[in-house]
Amino acid sequence: MDDDVLTTLKILIIGESGVGKSSLLLRFTDDTFDPELAATIGVDFKVKTIAIDGNRAKLAIWDTAGQERFRTLTPSYYRGAQGVILVYDVTKRDTFTKLENWLNELETYCTRNDLVKMLVGNKIDKDNREVDRNEGLKFARKHSMLFIEASAKTRDGVQCAFEELVEKILQTPGLWESSIQNHGVQLSDNEPQRQGACGGYC
Amino acid sequence: MAADSDPESEVFEITDFTTASEWERFISRVEEVLNDWKLIGSRVGKPLEKGEYTSGTWEESSQEISFADFKFSITHHYLKQESAENDGRDELEEDAYPLAMQDLLCINNDFPPRAHCLVRWFGVREFVVISPGANCEAIISESKCSLLLSSVSIALANTGCQVPLFVQIQQKHRKMFSGECQGPGVRSDFEMVHLRRVPSQYNHLSGLLDIFKNKIGCPLTPLPPINISIRFTYVLQDWQQCSWPQQPPDFDALLAGEVGGVEFGKLPFGACEDPISELHLAATWPSLTEGIVVDNDVYSDLDPLQAPHWSVRVRTAENPQCLLGEFLTEFFKICCRKETTEEILGRSTAEEEGKENSDITQALSKLTEPSTAVPIHKLSVSSMVHSARKRIRRHRRVPESPLNNDVLNSILLYLFPDAALDKADVSEVRPPQQSPDRQSEDYHLYNQLKSCPSDSLTHRLALCICMVNFHHGGVRAVAHLWQEFVLEMRYRWENNCLIYGLASGPPDLRCCLLHQKLQMLNCCIERKKARDDGKKSSSSDGARDRSRGAPEGAGPEGAGPAEAAGKSWDSWSDSEDEFFECVSDTEEMKEDKEEAENRSRSKPEGRLQPHGTHTLLNTQEPLYIPITQEPAPMTEDLLEEQSEVLAKLGTSAEGAHLRARMQSACLLSDMESFKAANPGCTLLDFVRWYSPRDYVEEQVTDADGRVEVRGELSARMKIPGNMWVEAWETARATPARRQKRLFDDTKEAEKVLHYLALQKPSELTRHLLPCVLHAALLKIKEEESAEDLPSVRSSLQQISSSASKILRHPNPEFKKLEDVISQLMAVEAVIARARSLKAKFGVCGGEREREEDGDELERFVSSLLEEPEVCVSGAGRGPAGNVIHKLFVSSQRAALLAPMEEETLRSGGSDDRKAFPDFPPPAGREILLRTCVPRPAPYSKALPQRLFCVLMRDEFRLAGAFSSDTSFF
Repeated sequence: MDDDVLTTLKILIIGESGVGKSSLLLRFTDDTFDPELAATIGVDFKVKTIAIDGNRAKLAIWDTAGQERFRTLTPSYYRGAQGVILVYDVTKRDTFTKLENWLNELETYCTRNDLVKMLVGNKIDKDNREVDRNEGLKFARKHSMLFIEASAKTRDGVQCAFEELVEKILQTPGLWESSIQNHGVQLSDNEPQRQGACGGYC
Repeated sequence: MAADSDPESEVFEITDFTTASEWERFISRVEEVLNDWKLIGSRVGKPLEKGEYTSGTWEESSQEISFADFKFSITHHYLKQESAENDGRDELEEDAYPLAMQDLLCINNDFPPRAHCLVRWFGVREFVVISPGANCEAIISESKCSLLLSSVSIALANTGCQVPLFVQIQQKHRKMFSGECQGPGVRSDFEMVHLRRVPSQYNHLSGLLDIFKNKIGCPLTPLPPINISIRFTYVLQDWQQCSWPQQPPDFDALLAGEVGGVEFGKLPFGACEDPISELHLAATWPSLTEGIVVDNDVYSDLDPLQAPHWSVRVRTAENPQCLLGEFLTEFFKICCRKETTEEILGRSTAEEEGKENSDITQALSKLTEPSTAVPIHKLSVSSMVHSARKRIRRHRRVPESPLNNDVLNSILLYLFPDAALDKADVSEVRPPQQSPDRQSEDYHLYNQLKSCPSDSLTHRLALCICMVNFHHGGVRAVAHLWQEFVLEMRYRWENNCLIYGLASGPPDLRCCLLHQKLQMLNCCIERKKARDDGKKSSSSDGARDRSRGAPEGAGPEGAGPAEAAGKSWDSWSDSEDEFFECVSDTEEMKEDKEEAENRSRSKPEGRLQPHGTHTLLNTQEPLYIPITQEPAPMTEDLLEEQSEVLAKLGTSAEGAHLRARMQSACLLSDMESFKAANPGCTLLDFVRWYSPRDYVEEQVTDADGRVEVRGELSARMKIPGNMWVEAWETARATPARRQKRLFDDTKEAEKVLHYLALQKPSELTRHLLPCVLHAALLKIKEEESAEDLPSVRSSLQQISSSASKILRHPNPEFKKLEDVISQLMAVEAVIARARSLKAKFGVCGGEREREEDGDELERFVSSLLEEPEVCVSGAGRGPAGNVIHKLFVSSQRAALLAPMEEETLRSGGSDDRKAFPDFPPPAGREILLRTCVPRPAPYSKALPQRLFCVLMRDEFRLAGAFSSDTSFF
């Protein structure tokens, strides 16, 4: 079915409850918006195949519940992810303030420290913005993350966000290549003795 | 006349190439190669710097040429130098002789530690060599040698090349070369003599000088001075004064019981034999004048103690036997085996297991007979099972068992130090006191390697498995120890004894899977323990509930609770259900009302603490946060399974719904706890606590025109039929302790124990391999920190990094794991060498009072490890020289069995000859003679002449370069 797919990537979506994680995912996979999407319980899961620079990649995207109680459950699924999307709501400052906690949790539970991180400020279609774009940029720069503002409702920035993330992951071969060539360890700087050379008297 | 001139001109104009011989074609080929390499004309180069032959970069290029059907390879060797500054000036001096001839007299690069043999013998910085090709026979006959040399001579003359050209003759292993170098009006011939034995008349400097003078044939009187450089090499193989300090680990003391379990926690380290096999001391006398030194068969001035220069090189033993490497290799071999534990230990295991079961059955049957109080029950159960285990152990003491009782007990005591406490007071097993987490980088190495903390049970188990594998019977011992370990795990589960040496909390997914499994078992024990403790306290509460229930149940319905009075707590719960089911139809309405009243007035249960600010919307009572069940801990394999199950549901709406339902057990449990803690609450109250962002407040203007704030569910919570509402409707008010368990610790514990019991030795060792590599890395770091070796430190970082990448992979390749082990072995060997050298030089240096000497010796030892040859500052009189001198004296004394009176014999010069020398005869002697004399006639130009002599026990070699004036002969 997907014989020509380069690889399967695992992507997480995390963030405070109600910021629109599931809506972003639904917009990306099904290109629809449901204002009455039910609150996520535990983790949810969607699959989509996209083409980036001629490479086809299959994305397994894990959507998580943001409630405090579920945070003792969902980090178990962080393992093995190559990319992660941290979402905040630009109209609610505390969802931005809590991002630091989500990053700490990410650092604790993800076993690889070279995964690609993206920061998404959602709900830019609303009028009552509380978090300025520059604040998001500053946060992303501080934590070496990709950054984009988006709206799951109006479709702005959603496709671009996922594509940028995947492109970045593919540029990091150590993240998704199964076999890594191991270079031998050099114990001394001396070059091997050349043929015909004499160590001492001869 | 006219007829004669015509035929002559006709013949003269014709060139007939059909008559060219193979020899001529060979010469042309050589000339072509010399042209390709741009070796035509005079060579320019800067004067050679001191030691440049060793520190500089040598280049070479090679081509193939043929003489008829005989193949040769022609190779150009040269020292890479920056372009000379005085190009113009050198070009003007047409009479200057070739650069190679100037190199013959240069004294800055005598006896280079590492160089091509022709560089060492002739001292030239650039040369070309023609050698027989691979698989070609040697040039042995005199006529063939002469033919080749003639070809060289013609090619050099035709092209004007001034680079020396050598031809390799005789067998290759003899390294015999002849050659020639041509310049304008000058020429150098390179000749070589190679004999098996040293002729007696030429065994000293005086004889060699005679050869040199005769060869030069200079008629001048007096003869110009001859420059002499001499180098003697002495070999030390017998380390008498500093015997190898490393001793194999002594396990007899362990068996005797003198050493407790401490030894199990240490990996062995170091080489069993001295990794330094030889020390070569080179004593050098540079630039002597002929008259200064005397060396003949009756007397010699060449005492190494008086030599101005000393240099030392060490030769290391190939593949020294290192303990840590052997441990790792033997451990790794088990990873590749396929037998199960039962296959390894044989049928006796099955029989023993049967008896074990019968023993436990008997113990339990005995316990059920008497009717005694609960505390006696508890104590009896523990003691009976404990004694049963003791009997099992005694029974297992058969010759077939790989581990005898003493070893096994020591190991188990090391693994479980709390077992001693266990015997003292069974009912009060204290939880293990966790050692404080160290913030060091080494402590967190287990994250990278997916191993486990170095102070954990799994780490200790890995070390013990490694040790019993190496010393106590290999894979059978491993299987036996693992069997005992699994029994201990089951004992702790059945007796609520927490496992010592595991951090509390859910499994740490950053550790190896075995560590996670043990942590999971500890979680089960912890839950079971808490539940059993909670059951005692809740029994009295239950009793109060029963007494309070009796009055309400007076009358015909009162029979239910009365019947349940004699049953246990669980039975009481069932009785409650029966009570409600006995409601008669006629009184249904009445009972419903009573039930409603009871519910509204029922006592809240399972409260943790007040929320603080919120109150219930309907009743205005404070909102209480309930005691909730903790979520189920998971190991990575269970998570993998669950992820696959969730993923297999697909991405349809139906799949998403099922996925949410499967994960709603936790939510439902929390809702039930919330209802029990907050009678009269609504979903809105729950959401305010559980998901605050789904509680939306808006301002509403009532009929009187006043503005008030009213809270409502968010839009997504109001969706009809959504999972949250559905769960809320389903939830019954039940405190956490009476709910169905989210985490069935009984089932999970059995799963873990089953998993442990099924492990084959190879599977077990594969689980523990990250821990063993982790321990090995820590051990090497510990050993290296005492030695301070920068190269080892950087190697360790590379090994850690590569091991981390390999071990993170779900199924690491065995080949790559073998590579990691090989690298660790190599590092161990390097440290062992450093330790050996420090023992030889540092221990003797320690005897000295001066600190400066110690520092100098440290630097000297470090150089010995890094460089092929190291100069000894101060030669025989410096601190290192003194140590070396003592080493040789000790070796000589041991070899010759000389008496101690030797010291008294050093009084006079005449007595010195009678005493044994401090040094053995030199293993090799190299003598370099140089001069500049006119040749062949007195009126010829003075040109460099050079003779390099090598004298060894089985070899005598003379390499001479003799220059002649070809203009005035």
